[in-house]
Amino acid sequence: MNTAKVMQVAWREFAATVMTKTFLFGLLIVPLIMGLMVLLLPLLINAKSSAIEGRIAVYDPTGAMFPSLSQELSRETLAERRREVSKRIDAVMPDAVKALTKNDQVTKEMDKALGEVPNLKLESIAGANALESARERLKLKKDDAQALLVVIEISADSITPLTQGGELGSYNLFEREGLESRFGQDVRNALKQVIVDARLRGRNLQADEIRKLMQVSAAKTEIVSRKGTQGKNEVARMLLPIGFMILILMAVMAGGQQLMTSTIEEKSSRVIEVLLAAVSPTELMAGKIIGQMAVGALMLAIYGGLMSVALVAFSLLGMVQWSALGYMLVFFVLSSLTIASLMAAIGAAVNEIREAQGLLTPVMLVLMLPMMFMGPIASDPNSTLATVLSFCPPVSPFIMMMRIGAPAPPPDWQIWIAILVNAIAAVMAVWLAGKVFRIGLLMNGKPPNLITLWRWVRMA
Amino acid sequence: MNPAIEIESVHKRFGDKHAVDSLNLVVPRGALYGVIGPNGAGKSTSLRMILSILFPDSGSIRVLGHDSALKAKDRIGYLPEERGLYKKMKVGDFLVHMGILKGLKRADARARCQTWLERVGLPDVAKKRSEDLSKGMQQKIQFIAAVMHDPELLILDEPFSGLDPVNMRLLRDLIEAQHRAGTTILFSTHVMFQAEQMCDHIVMLHNGRKVLDDPLAAIRARSEVRSIRFEPLLADMPVAALLAEVPGVEAVVRSESGYRIELAEGVQLEPIVNAITAKVTPARLELVQPNLEDVFIQIVTGHPAAGATA
Repeated sequence: MNTAKVMQVAWREFAATVMTKTFLFGLLIVPLIMGLMVLLLPLLINAKSSAIEGRIAVYDPTGAMFPSLSQELSRETLAERRREVSKRIDAVMPDAVKALTKNDQVTKEMDKALGEVPNLKLESIAGANALESARERLKLKKDDAQALLVVIEISADSITPLTQGGELGSYNLFEREGLESRFGQDVRNALKQVIVDARLRGRNLQADEIRKLMQVSAAKTEIVSRKGTQGKNEVARMLLPIGFMILILMAVMAGGQQLMTSTIEEKSSRVIEVLLAAVSPTELMAGKIIGQMAVGALMLAIYGGLMSVALVAFSLLGMVQWSALGYMLVFFVLSSLTIASLMAAIGAAVNEIREAQGLLTPVMLVLMLPMMFMGPIASDPNSTLATVLSFCPPVSPFIMMMRIGAPAPPPDWQIWIAILVNAIAAVMAVWLAGKVFRIGLLMNGKPPNLITLWRWVRMA
Repeated sequence: MNPAIEIESVHKRFGDKHAVDSLNLVVPRGALYGVIGPNGAGKSTSLRMILSILFPDSGSIRVLGHDSALKAKDRIGYLPEERGLYKKMKVGDFLVHMGILKGLKRADARARCQTWLERVGLPDVAKKRSEDLSKGMQQKIQFIAAVMHDPELLILDEPFSGLDPVNMRLLRDLIEAQHRAGTTILFSTHVMFQAEQMCDHIVMLHNGRKVLDDPLAAIRARSEVRSIRFEPLLADMPVAALLAEVPGVEAVVRSESGYRIELAEGVQLEPIVNAITAKVTPARLELVQPNLEDVFIQIVTGHPAAGATA
């Protein structure tokens, strides 16, 4: 094999892919979208709902709950409850993200969001027809002064059963059409609390005391190892393995798909025969694979670099094992070889992109598996499913990278077996693809099916 | 010196079709060989096997002293029938790329690229994308890609297809210049007139088999004259009837400018010309030499071509 020629083919392949506006756009658009999501999503979420204003009618035959319900649905209490929710979310966030909430701007945004809690006026209704007429008022137009948002009908037996040993009653809720579900949730939470409190008071129990006794604040977990003690962050620990997997999958797929496209282009534009007069099919395929592996490596470096910057920014770099980066390179090379070979074979076998779909679909379906099993594997990286899939090429490298990035990485022997299996798979893929490539490049006409491809392998 | 190409008992099948059957051929160094034959005769397949783009089912091919063209790729130039360029690639970059793939150093490839572009009258296209060129310009670029590394053997598959007369002439001149410089040239065409104009040796293929392999001069020398173009001095005679009486004349056909006299096989020319002129005084009499097309039809069908022309 002539190395200079192989490298020239590789350089052309790399340059033709990378030095295009499309590639640069594609390369930049992913981090750009992610960055925009990180910056804008919280703003968009907070800015989304405008404050709900309106009236709520409460039918309370017990006479014990209306004042408490008015208190629970006051703006101050609703704001306080939302603040509690946000604190619970904060508890699972990395420290660096928590630090952001102390930032003035973020606090302002939070206050702004809290300023948009519902502004409600409660009215007590009583009498035989009151409930029916209140329900009619739900149908009135929103801007009508008599219009209601919700009608609450509390059961008479919600505090004490009507008969000895009978079931306790609850409440019925009637909402006007088109009410936000978040608001309905606020009302239900308030009702639940008011009814429970009333029941406790009815039995001479201290509601506040019991509520305090029921609360256990979120525990702070720390990992203790020879390296020292560090805070355990569940969210980051879940996301990191997924990040590893997506990184390597993106790099491999981008190069692979480009390889297929460029091969089809060379074949359909008839430039292939000129090339084959200068280089052998093996040299051509080797050059193309190396070129597209370089494209994948460039993407890996750029996205991996951005990921590292993010980890440094959130003081999470300590979570990354250096050995994991080494393994990532090995698995990238092996999976690139396998996928690129398959893509080269598909590209050589067909005459245009449209025809490639039939052969590409099974490959893509297999490569979707890591995405499909991302959740279960990230949460339980040493399950039987994860272990088995991490030995099955071509998905093995992606699953194994997810496992390696997990808090409980697989034993070394499993990683080395996976490397061996993928090395064998890569050699076989290159060998098989080389045969299809050699025959397919000069074939025109009807695109081959899998049986024809196998015949080519035996012919070559 | 060993021949440029030696082909021995080569067979190639595609499924049920015998594309090339028992082909034997020797092309000496410095020769200009034309491979002719109708579409589907096996010309392109033979050329691709010589280049080791395809491989024979049996038989052997030696190219420039090697048992495979793969070992001498850098010494061979090839212009395939179905030509292509990278549409988005700049012409200069493409030629440099092809030059490097043919073993040139990058700087050398750049210099040769510019020299050749000037030579074919396209000095300003190096920075243009291939897709911005006309078809004729693209063909010139492809020809440069085939010759810029000064190959010892140049293989051209239907080099003139799709060219206008001006560019056809230019390409012919370039090919002849390569030949004069000592390059062995093998080119295929289904337009036999082109082969007749340029080649000093003709190989004819039909249904995958070689049916002719001779120097052009020898083919002409042994081709039997089977037709005479005749114009009478006096038009008011029953010319056709008189000529038909001459022994050895098979048919007399009226043509635009006179008559075409078809001769019987094996007839001696001198006595029959004397007999014809004795019957009708000619204003013009011309022996019609069969061209390659006639020879081909004669070989394939076993009969002389009807209406052979000079």
